[in-house]
Parts: sequence; C-alpha cells; structure tokens
Amino acid sequence: MPGNVKVVERPRAESSYVRAAAKGMSITMRHLLSPNKKTQQYPDEKWELAPRTRGTHRMAVHEDGRAKCVACGLCPTVCPVNCIKLVPAEDENGERYAAIYEIDEFRCIFCGYCQEVCPVEAIHLGVHYENAEYSRERWVYDLERLVEQEHDVTALWDPQDPASQ
Amino acid sequence: MAENGARADVRLTIDGVEVTVPSGTRVIEAAERVGVVVPRYCYHPGIPTRPAQCRMCLVEVEGRPKLEPSCTLQATDDMVVNTASDAARTARQAVIEFLLVNHPLDCPICDAAGQCMLQDYAYVTNQLESRVDEPKRIMGRDRISDDILYFADRCVICTRCVRFMRDVAEDDSLIVAQRGDKAYIDTFPGRELDNPFQGNIVDVCPVGALVHEDFVFKTRAWDMDSAASVCPGCPTGCNVTIDTKENQIVRVKPRHNAAVNSWWMCDYGRRHLVMTNRGVRADVPLVRDGEQLRPVDWATALDWVAGRIDALGSPGGSAVVSPDASNENLFYVERLLGRLGITGAAFIVPQGETAALPTVPTLKLRADRAANPAGAELFGGRRVDGLRNGASAGGLVVLDDELKGADEDFGGSADFFLYLGTRLAGAARNADAVLPIATFAEMDGTFTNFEGRVQRFHQALRPPGLARPGWMVLSRVLARLGDGEAVNDVRGAFERMAAEAPAFAGLTWDGIGLKGAAAAGSGAEAAGVAASAEADA
Repeated sequence: MPGNVKVVERPRAESSYVRAAAKGMSITMRHLLSPNKKTQQYPDEKWELAPRTRGTHRMAVHEDGRAKCVACGLCPTVCPVNCIKLVPAEDENGERYAAIYEIDEFRCIFCGYCQEVCPVEAIHLGVHYENAEYSRERWVYDLERLVEQEHDVTALWDPQDPASQ
Repeated sequence: MAENGARADVRLTIDGVEVTVPSGTRVIEAAERVGVVVPRYCYHPGIPTRPAQCRMCLVEVEGRPKLEPSCTLQATDDMVVNTASDAARTARQAVIEFLLVNHPLDCPICDAAGQCMLQDYAYVTNQLESRVDEPKRIMGRDRISDDILYFADRCVICTRCVRFMRDVAEDDSLIVAQRGDKAYIDTFPGRELDNPFQGNIVDVCPVGALVHEDFVFKTRAWDMDSAASVCPGCPTGCNVTIDTKENQIVRVKPRHNAAVNSWWMCDYGRRHLVMTNRGVRADVPLVRDGEQLRPVDWATALDWVAGRIDALGSPGGSAVVSPDASNENLFYVERLLGRLGITGAAFIVPQGETAALPTVPTLKLRADRAANPAGAELFGGRRVDGLRNGASAGGLVVLDDELKGADEDFGGSADFFLYLGTRLAGAARNADAVLPIATFAEMDGTFTNFEGRVQRFHQALRPPGLARPGWMVLSRVLARLGDGEAVNDVRGAFERMAAEAPAFAGLTWDGIGLKGAAAAGSGAEAAGVAASAEADA
C-alpha cells in the first residue's frame, strides 16, 4: 500500500454521473431525431462526390478501344513526384504510342497536372477514392488497367462556373 | 567584297550597338558579333548558298524603303540596322503565320519539339489563335533514304537539305518538287539518296521534317543529356555532341570546329559511335587463381598486379595496344612497358573504305578505322598487320585490343600477361589479370587526330560495374611501384603526360579547350594546325 492517501470528499451533486449521463443521452437523442443529420450508411450509401474531385487515374480511349495517349511525354515531364513512367514506340501504322505507360498511384499526389497538360485529353484523374489492394505492386497502374477504369473522370472546371468566378 | 585581297573594315550600327566587321560580312553574321541572333531558316553558316527565300531574317535598314534580308545584305559603312523594329517584327510574324497555315502542329509527337526553330519563333510572335478556317493540306511521310524519314507536313521548305546535298556534298540527289503550298522535298524518280554524308541533312533541318529513323519517337529533347566528344570512327576526329538518355547513346550530332569537320560528320561515324558501347563488357577485375580467373575488388587486383610486376623486374616481352585508346591511356601503358623493359607496343588498325566531302578538304572518312593511331605512334607504337602468337616469354601487356585472330594459346607462354580491356576478349583467357576499363564515351581524355591535333572528349555515360578509366587504373598500378601518384581526374593524368611526354609538352587541359590544339611532336603540319586553331578562336 502506498503511504498516506488523501481522500477528498466531494459533494454528491458534483460526483454523481447521473446528470452527465443524462446530458450525453440528450445530445444523442437530439442528433438521432434531427432533420439535419449527416450520418450515412457507407458502403450501402455513398457520398456524391464533387465533379472536380481528384482521385485515381483513368485513360480515355478511341472508339476502337485504343488508348488516346500519343506518348508525347508531357505528363512525366510535368509530374512533380515522377510517378509516371512512359516509353514511347512506333506502331505498325507509324504512329507514336505508349509501349509502356505506368502510374504509381502510391506516389501520386493527385495534383492533376498530367490531365491539365495532356494535349489529346487522354489521361484523366477520376472521381474515385475506393482503392484497397492486397499488394503494393497493384498500385502501379499500367496502361491496360488505366483503360479498364470505369469511374467518372475529373472535370477541370465546374460546369456551372467555367470561369471560376 | 574582299576579292581584291583588301579586307577593309566597315563600321555599322546594329540595334544601337556599333560593331566593326571585315568588308563583305553579311549583316546576319555581323549581328551575331553583338549578340543579336536574327531569326533564320534558309541561312546556315555552313552552306555557301543564300537564296534569301524564307524571309525570316528581314531587318530594317535606315534610309531604305523596304526591309532587307540580312543573310544576303552586305554590311557597309554607317549602315544603321534595326533587327527588332515594329516593321521587322510584323514581317516575321507574317512569315510565321503563313508557315503555320499548313503546319500540322503535331509538336507532342514531333522529335524536334524543344529544339525546333519554328516552335521557338512561333512562340515569340505570341499569336495563339489561327485566323485560318480552311482545312490543312495533308501530305504524310516519306522515306527518302534507308535511314532518314521525311515528314512533309512539318517542312518549311527552307531548302537547307537540298542545298547541303547540292552545294556542300556536291550530289544533286535532292530537289524541291512542286510549287507553293504543294512543295515538298524528294529524290529524283528512281534515284535514292545514297551519300556517305547524307545524315547531315537531319542536323541542318530547322524543324522536325527530317528525322533519323533510329531516333524517331525515341526520346524528348529535354530528356537527353549531352556531352562534347570526338568521333572515334577514324583519325579525322570530327568534333561531336553525344546525346544520351538513361545511360544509352541515342543521338550523335556534329559539333562545329572550323579546323577539322566544319559543321559536318559522316554517316559511318554516327553509326560507329552508337555501337562503341555495345557488346559484353568487362566490369569486374579478375586475377589468376590456378586454372581460373577469380573476380576481386580493385585494391586486391591492383596490389596483386603491382606485386607480380615488382617481382618480375624487367624481363622484356611484348605488348599490343588498341589504336582506339586515349593519349592518357597510351602514356600510362608506355610507362608500364618501360618498367617491364618492353619497347614498341604493336597496334593493328582495321581498314575501311574512304569517303570525302568535296567542299570541306579537312573532313574525310579515312581508311584507318581507329580514333588514335597517331597517338599510338607518338608513344612509340609500331603499326603491324597481324598479331604474332605472343609466344615469347617475359611480360605481355594488352590495352583494349580485342585480339581478333589470336591463337588459342595467345599469351600462354608469357611470364606475366596483363589484359586491360573494355570487353572480355576470348584471347584474354590466358591472362594473369584482367582489369576492366571504360570506353572513350565513359571517361574524359584526349585523342590525337591524323594531323597531330590533340582533342578533348568528355564523359557521356557511366561505366558499367567496376570499370574505370584506363589512366586511373594504370596510375594506381604505377603508384604502387613507386612511379608517380594515383590520379583521380583527367587533369592530373594530362598534366603528367604533358610534363613527361615530349610530344605533348606545353599543352594544358584548359589550353586545349573544346576545339583542340596541335601536339608538338606531330611534324610539319603542326604549325598549320596551330594557326587554324587561333583563327578559330
């Protein structure tokens, strides 16, 4: 036993939990019944994201399914964190295309410069945030995977307010 | 003009700055002396003809009613030139606007983007919207030789390529076909572009119309690193710029040197230089351990080699050096040979066909296909036709020769066989030690060209594995034997060479500069080289 322990006798009105518990319950009940409550039943219900939300990438394709990318090299040049790897090559028609196009979504800071700089509107950020994976390697999206993505692409400006006023 | 021999000077004012130039100088060249680069397409300093057809270099001259093309306008006394007046700028903007009427603006996939004169000048005019509604004409691409592609839509019809072939290479194989907006560059029907110097038309192209096929879509201009170097293809020693990306050579361009290659180089040199770093490289020091060669670290290898040489004393023997080795490497090998009592290293120079550019007498693809046979001779080397089998006893030193045609037991009977090489030659199997060294593209150094001109080259690539420059390795072997100090940079190696090798007396690394200087021991031509070096400076 420790030595002398001083026991302070508080008035019952101060030490009782009944009043505090009642106060807490009243706050709970107020929010439970409030018409302004924000709680959502995720993942059954999902947030509606803003059109300019910047999430994981998506590659636009031509009608025949080819990626629109012409391998110009502007996105790896402008990327501030060097998360884009691009190796250009020539296809059978003599057109330039991306033989290797990989984005490391772990490194990506979702600044959106790649989408802004793209001269052919091929690479886009997406309105998307659910990206759980079982391995780190799966976070490096190759061209095939970028083409397969189906989520909405990020709008560069608000359609209601194109001049950002 | 100066045809009567009198080179009177004229004094004129360009953009408010007074400049004195020899009579006969064109205004576009006079302007460069005061730091004004007048925009140009058809003018190229290496091409003698000036058709003044692109109309980009129009300047305003006070007292003259119309703008004048500065590439053909001779400077005269009291001329007042304004290169950036409103009238000149408006005229240039109009030219750019006309060029862009049909230009595809495919800069994102064009290999010239970033190094394109149309891009640069169009950017300066700041005209961001086109006023043309009509569709652009589309012509597509053409292969005008086995390795050059022509993108007709990008062409500005400056005719530099046509005039290079006609007036510099004296080979009438390129023409401008059609007229007006249908004009394009082509070869004659049934004829191919087949000239040993045709690669230069890609270099003179101010836009991305002419591209080497092996460079198409390979890299963007801003992703490349560049190093000043010297072409190792033949003893002419054309000055070049090596462009690299991710430790690979992707392009070779000639670098101007009035005394050697002017603005040009041959196609053999381009192809050869790209290939110099291919092949299986030696990248770790090996020393003999019974029947096999064992990989070791540098300190162990150098101690072991120095110990063996120290124990051998001066047994005599033989040596083979590569005529592609740099002066510094040859110098240090000669020191090592002196230590071993070996005189006169043999060197074998592969031979090939020659080619000459008619209008540039100094530029020639020579029969010797090696960078530095002149240097090997300066260091006491003997030119031989083939290898002896190396059966002699004593020491045997090989510097970076691949020993083609050597016997199975080459060097087997030598007391000590030291192989310094960039690659693992088969004939090195009998070596007592193999020391991996860097190729010329992976280190700094100098070559001596056919007329005794010592020219610097600079490191463009990282050497593989533990390979190091030959002078760095050999100076350490010699330092362990009590001969000089270990050098860590090429200045140290060059200074020691200049101090001890009479042929290089008086030369300094900085003094040579990027244009080269004559070696003292290079004979009668030395005076001429020195004079041309001064004129160039």
